[in-house]
Amino acid sequence: MAEKGDRLIWFWGRECPHCKQIRPTVERLESEMNIKLDHLEVWHDMNNQKLMQEYGDKISEACGGELGVPAFYNERTGKALCGYRIPLEKFKEWASGK
Amino acid sequence: MQKTFWRCHVCNDIHYGLRPPEVCPTCGAKNAFARCDPAEVGKVQQPTEAIDTEEKVIQVWKEFAASNPICRLAEDENEVRMLAGGVLENMRNRGLKYCPCRITSGNLEKDLLLICPCNFVRQKNWTELGECWCGLFKKKED
Repeated sequence: MAEKGDRLIWFWGRECPHCKQIRPTVERLESEMNIKLDHLEVWHDMNNQKLMQEYGDKISEACGGELGVPAFYNERTGKALCGYRIPLEKFKEWASGK
Repeated sequence: MQKTFWRCHVCNDIHYGLRPPEVCPTCGAKNAFARCDPAEVGKVQQPTEAIDTEEKVIQVWKEFAASNPICRLAEDENEVRMLAGGVLENMRNRGLKYCPCRITSGNLEKDLLLICPCNFVRQKNWTELGECWCGLFKKKED
């Protein structure tokens, strides 16, 4: 597991259908790049929600103005992705810090 | 200006807003609303049925979509049910039926915008993809 500040984070919600839909793509990303994202549920874990709010500016920008899930945050680059229509190639660029 | 409560002096209908309705939507009386003290509101209103099961939440969404000219409810019943479960979880844990695909900020004024159905027509998702953020409501085809 990566250290804080060096993590690739997936913020997700237990009752969010899009989070469920994107899970296979996340798993494929992890498998093909041999990496592990931190999967942080945000509606039932206040610490995870707080962390997401800390990165709120970047994430809400990626989400079109407000915080939403599924959202992805690269702690090293400060880059965020949001939504469930993220192509695998874009995911890989985000994960590799490009 | 601040929103306040208004009471129909004919049928005790309660309205919350900047101005009273010209016509009472319940009894049809005209110019019948007077400003009402918030403490009176709870006594004047009769308790209504709680919307506390997935079936009831889905029924509310169906009624909303049926009366709305621009949106329809998503067709995937499993997704709709999952979202209904989510808003009920949020009702239990956070006191309001927040969208389970958004996140509260702790700022009540902002968070009130996340109650489902939210004002999704202002979202980028609605204009670009034709659906609300969580995909529950979609644009009606012409």
